Amino acid sequence: MRNRLIFLAGALVAVLALSSALRAQDAARPGSMPDISGVWLVEKFNPILFPNGGAPLQPWAEKKLKATNPQTNDPNLACLPEGVPRFMISVPYPMEIIQGPTRVFIIHEGTSVLRQIHMGRQHPKDLDPTYAGDSVGKWEGDTLIVDTIGFNDKTWLDGGGIPHTEALHVVERIRRTDHDTLVDEFTIDDRMAYTKPITARQVYKLKPDWEIHEYVCEENNKYTYQKK
Amino acid sequence: MRNSLLVFPATAIYLLLSLGESTPAHHGFVSWYDMSRSVTVKGTVTSFEWTNPHTYIYLDVKNEKGAVEKWIIELGAPGMLARVGWRRDSLKPGDEITTTGNPAKDGKPTLHLSKIVLANGQELSTAL
Repeated sequence: MRNRLIFLAGALVAVLALSSALRAQDAARPGSMPDISGVWLVEKFNPILFPNGGAPLQPWAEKKLKATNPQTNDPNLACLPEGVPRFMISVPYPMEIIQGPTRVFIIHEGTSVLRQIHMGRQHPKDLDPTYAGDSVGKWEGDTLIVDTIGFNDKTWLDGGGIPHTEALHVVERIRRTDHDTLVDEFTIDDRMAYTKPITARQVYKLKPDWEIHEYVCEENNKYTYQKK
Repeated sequence: MRNSLLVFPATAIYLLLSLGESTPAHHGFVSWYDMSRSVTVKGTVTSFEWTNPHTYIYLDVKNEKGAVEKWIIELGAPGMLARVGWRRDSLKPGDEITTTGNPAKDGKPTLHLSKIVLANGQELSTAL
């Protein structure tokens, strides 16, 4: 965990150092891409995707969901990252989007995960599974299409405990609908866990005066975690 | 660890109030606290932990029989609280405060804070 924090601290320093250069490059090419940069916060905190049940789960996944308990075995109780897509959908902390010509960075205050969206490249082969997966992006008009694979199976899809496997595949359509509003539409599929793709939508509001704060979950975590 | 901290029975007087939406936390307060109820507890601050992932106020509360109960008041992360006016020195031991928030589902003397009133009448909310 300590190594992860040291890596993140280093990565964030590098990102912040790069951001001014990246912005300068973008500024030199006005209109080259839509601007979705800034600090954003979910408009409404929706911790659970299916509050009334009905998630399209295969029998093993349904059984696993029933065995979950958010009070005892949410991996986040151990300060493990929520991962993608959960931290984009159901985490009530702000995120900052920094755009560059070859990558879009998302720094999330509450998850200690730096998300990189690689623009204009394909997914590498033989990906090592990770919490955030491997994201590639392209612009279609005013919409950023993000395709993410390469996940580990250590995260929940939401705060309710919907499971997934390493076959998880997330496609996002991110669009700034007005100056203060960003919308992310998710199509979430996992042929090993779901009977059909799950769709979700999250709306974020711009927080022009906010900056991302340090958040070290391990500092004073009083919650206990029982792995299942 | 959390349960070991909460060893005192909750016998303070509960006042039912309506609540605004407070800053949620990464661990999902919804599963620990009864978000449909609100209680108000007055007491003396013994400690204030301005820490991630959550901030804590430790409170001595006199019950109806005059005995002191140890309450734990739980808040969100300092980063979010700072955005609504909280500071690391907002509270100090000895401060007389009135806290309002959601009670624990298990009846232990702990609270998910939504609003605090300091001895001088100043209010601090956890709502964005």
